[in-house]
Amino acid sequence: MSEFALHVEGLEAGYEPGLPIVRNASLTVTPGEIVAILGPNGAGKSSLVKAVAGLVPISKGSVWLHGRDITKTPAHRMVFEGLAFVPQTENVFINLSVAENLELAAAIVQAKRQSALEPVYAMFPDLLRQSSLLAGQLSGGQRQMLAVARALIAKPRLLILDEPSAGLSPLLVGQVFAKLREVRASGITVLLVEQNVKSALALADRAVVLVEGRERIVGRSEDLLNDERVAALYLGRHTGKQAAGEQA
Amino acid sequence: MLQIMADGLIMGSIIALGAIGLSMTLSIVRFSNFSHGELLGWGAYLALVASTALNAMNTAWAANVGPFSFGWGLMLSLLLACVLTALLALALDRILFKRLRKQGSITLVIASFGAALALRNLLLFWQGGIPRYYSENLQIAMVLVPRSVGGGLRVTPDQIFVLTLALVAVTGLHLFLRHSTLGRSMRATALNPALARVTGIDPERVLRATWLIGGVLAAIAGVFAGLTVQMRPTMGVDLLLPLFAAVILGGVGSIWGAVLGGFIVGLSESVAVTLVGAEYRSAAAFVVLIAILMLRPRGLFGETH
Repeated sequence: MSEFALHVEGLEAGYEPGLPIVRNASLTVTPGEIVAILGPNGAGKSSLVKAVAGLVPISKGSVWLHGRDITKTPAHRMVFEGLAFVPQTENVFINLSVAENLELAAAIVQAKRQSALEPVYAMFPDLLRQSSLLAGQLSGGQRQMLAVARALIAKPRLLILDEPSAGLSPLLVGQVFAKLREVRASGITVLLVEQNVKSALALADRAVVLVEGRERIVGRSEDLLNDERVAALYLGRHTGKQAAGEQA
Repeated sequence: MLQIMADGLIMGSIIALGAIGLSMTLSIVRFSNFSHGELLGWGAYLALVASTALNAMNTAWAANVGPFSFGWGLMLSLLLACVLTALLALALDRILFKRLRKQGSITLVIASFGAALALRNLLLFWQGGIPRYYSENLQIAMVLVPRSVGGGLRVTPDQIFVLTLALVAVTGLHLFLRHSTLGRSMRATALNPALARVTGIDPERVLRATWLIGGVLAAIAGVFAGLTVQMRPTMGVDLLLPLFAAVILGGVGSIWGAVLGGFIVGLSESVAVTLVGAEYRSAAAFVVLIAILMLRPRGLFGETH
């Protein structure tokens, strides 16, 4: 399993005992790739990544990160294992300034302030200009950038993002996804949950389609773009390229 | 008028110190801790017991320091009371609240009622119900402003000590929360516990710090209340409603909100005592609370999400 950046095996997870949201889900992510988790609303996509990040209790199965079993690792220890998670909403501390958000993340992992912040500011120059602003004053796109920057401070090996395009305009989605390509280029593996199928498949190397808590379709992004089963899962009666296009 | 304001500010500083701890428990531990007032009472009595013991060990410590009504014995006892009250708060969490945390906030609130009753009656059993004082010496108030100007202003050196040290404590806490990693972690956890966890903040460490700081501030407030008014085993429950009023008025989770809320409650009580009588003391604070909440439902400094 050590050849995988992330290996999830037969995972069952949920907030209430006996009521799993994720059921028997398995997933592999190889180092350096971008993998998208797709699926209709309520498919358990967010719960799956939250379970991997330690935020949703796991009742069965296992999670391995670069060959280390992290199934029982608490959420606050994940950054020290090399896993960073960016939640879908409320993903920055709005009562702290941009600089404080980043400095706090650096201090937690006991990184030297300058050496931790410099590469992040180099990747997100807008954040340097807005460093004294409260994070709550940033626009949706800027907050998403700050959330990604905050996650990168810990120098993770795997970055997990829960719907990074949620609530953003198509232009901002393009900017966020461009940054994710840069993140991958820096050697970090990326796993993201997305509703925006077309953009996600354009970004990812591979995708997993999740339905009712289980993975149903796994394949390379370019193959899934034209896969009628994907369109059918999203829109029910529609199929083919038309359906995929509408969803996107 | 000046005297009413000064009395209000002194009482307000005591309420503010207690309210900060209560506000932190509300925003970080996420429940209304009705036993917080008892920590003030325990802090006051622990300092009394410690100062009595220290003064007996060394009579030089009992001698008044400068113009104050107390000696070095009480100063050292204040530090000791801070440590012991902080440990008491932490022990309450470990023995009671930590075990019930998964049951939800209602269970914690009910448990805190039980803890308050137990703490208050233990104190009553240990120290008796007779009001106590740190010093039997009568302190003469200094005339700061003559009676011809705004009715005059007279304050005792102890009152100036209380007001000054309260401001020092609040400023120190502000700097700690603003600049230290633990302080920032506490602010982050108060706002968004899930994000704090994925950032790498250990929630148990933050909770421990919250109880310890709340205990320290409660002890200081309790000693100050004992120094400027008197000590009774029921002093905690008597201060509890003003503490809650100050927290809600200032906005849950805001340190400066709790401080301002404390001062407003203290001033309201002081004005009410002078204008309509001491029996309307608490009512006045709550009238102000209702009026401000009608204008700002989240309180003066409440976070807007």
